[in-house]
Amino acid sequence: MNTTVWLVRREFWENRAIWLIPAVIGALLVLASLFGKVNLNLPAPLPAHAFGQLFMVTVAGTFFAVMSIYATWYLLDCLYADRRDRSVLFWKSLPISDTTTVLSKLGTALIVIPLVYFAAADATTLLMAFIVSVRGGSTIGAGVWHLDLWVQLQVLWMYLIVTTAIWYLPLAGYLLIVSAWAKRAVMLWSILPPLALLIAERWFVGTHMVARLLWERMVGWVPLAFHVNPGDGLWVTTVVDNDTIRTPQSLWSFLNVTGFFSSPETWLGAAAGAALIIGAIQLRLRRTEI
Amino acid sequence: MSALIEASDLTKKYGAHVALDRANFSVQAGRIVGLIGPNGAGKTTALRAILGLTAYEGQLKVLGREPFRERTKLMDDACFIADVAVLPAWLKVNDAIDFVAGVHPRFRRDRAAALLAKTQITGERRMRELSKGMKTQVHLALTMAVDAKLLVLDEPTLGLDILARRAFYDALVNDYMDDTRTILITTHQVEEIENLLTDVLFIEKGRIVLDSSLEEIATRYAAVAVAADKSEAARAERPFYERRMLGKIVLYYEHPNLEKLAELGEVHTPSISDLFVAKLSGGAQ
Repeated sequence: MNTTVWLVRREFWENRAIWLIPAVIGALLVLASLFGKVNLNLPAPLPAHAFGQLFMVTVAGTFFAVMSIYATWYLLDCLYADRRDRSVLFWKSLPISDTTTVLSKLGTALIVIPLVYFAAADATTLLMAFIVSVRGGSTIGAGVWHLDLWVQLQVLWMYLIVTTAIWYLPLAGYLLIVSAWAKRAVMLWSILPPLALLIAERWFVGTHMVARLLWERMVGWVPLAFHVNPGDGLWVTTVVDNDTIRTPQSLWSFLNVTGFFSSPETWLGAAAGAALIIGAIQLRLRRTEI
Repeated sequence: MSALIEASDLTKKYGAHVALDRANFSVQAGRIVGLIGPNGAGKTTALRAILGLTAYEGQLKVLGREPFRERTKLMDDACFIADVAVLPAWLKVNDAIDFVAGVHPRFRRDRAAALLAKTQITGERRMRELSKGMKTQVHLALTMAVDAKLLVLDEPTLGLDILARRAFYDALVNDYMDDTRTILITTHQVEEIENLLTDVLFIEKGRIVLDSSLEEIATRYAAVAVAADKSEAARAERPFYERRMLGKIVLYYEHPNLEKLAELGEVHTPSISDLFVAKLSGGAQ
């Protein structure tokens, strides 16, 4: 356990981008809320509550999108970097197993980095809400200061982190394999094999099973983990100036917890992910040279 | 005395290339052993196998363990410096000490600090800011602060200037070596480590061609420098190698008849480097 803590700390030393990128995004958003326009003129004025939801989800979404890109890059680079600078020869001179090392990197990508972004998103949302409500007056202020909304946001983040960690396990395992194996150009090597498989299938068999499977795995998480259209009872209808506006009662209305955790796709993917991660550990055991 | 490292028929193939070809050797506790061979002879491969960095065929026990399968446990009692400048560029000296102290049960922080205090290196510096020689000093301090039974060094001074090389070996002998420790070392610069070794392993084309202590070498091998007119008489004693030097001929013998040789010229024990050249170019037969 202690070793794991040191290994994660080490990832922070090596990859300062883990906290630098969310810090910069947060700073930019806070600056924008300080100097940007805050007296929004929405065509159909949203209820304050809905404005609060929209605001929080937009900030969270921004952080989450950047986090996904960064975590992907991190997974692709982490094992390769040790071989590129030959520091693998130093790490392997310590009594730390390759399994622990690989799992620490996986955990950093799927849990630690998302938690850092989560914390940054929360801090940014708080600061922005404060600034915007001071500058924009009571209308906006009324929208963002709802305790229930803040609690919902925390749960939403945890749900995002847990479900993506499980759903993208095979992708993470694949990226780790490329990272442990490639001699150079990890980015290229991560794209080439699936692309080659895809084209080969199209040419020789004429079908596009691989493409479908890959696409399913890339985006399939969204329809599985979320109700794209929650049931009628979960909406709040507001009438403003003869316009009927439907807004979700709660951010939780969208979460399809049972749907995600009971889907065989979720667990088949996780099993495939576990197999790929074992493969990555085996490669880490054997490949020290670039 | 039980062997610390015991290899029998140790073999490693990279595709068609055989890097280690049924190598047999053993290393006893408390010795300083030089693994010496030309480029591509299999030195690094042998060390990688001993350290559990590569899979292999044949039998290999290091501190009673199978290195590749049990590397993690092996690293509790063994440490190594494989090549220079492998400490990552982004690592701060202090962080390196904290990290090793955090993960290594036998690391003694006070000792690492004491070793670094003797150098010009400050704790807040990153490896990328240090010279090659300084990086080696940091790595050596980290390694020597571990209470290990076996220390393996693979070309630890490659690319260092003569002052840094000398400082490295001085620290090794004066601050580290005692009779509880064993050191296995490879280097191109045989002359530099010649007088600190107790044993040598000569490796050529993946095979061990000599596994001997220095005392054994002194009784088993002899060289004699003779004038040209005595060369035929000297050759009659069946040397395995000879070379011309300043008008004289130096001949190398295994199991020599010392009395005969003494009549022909000045007899001496060959240096490790001379013996190495003689063995490898004169043919091992």
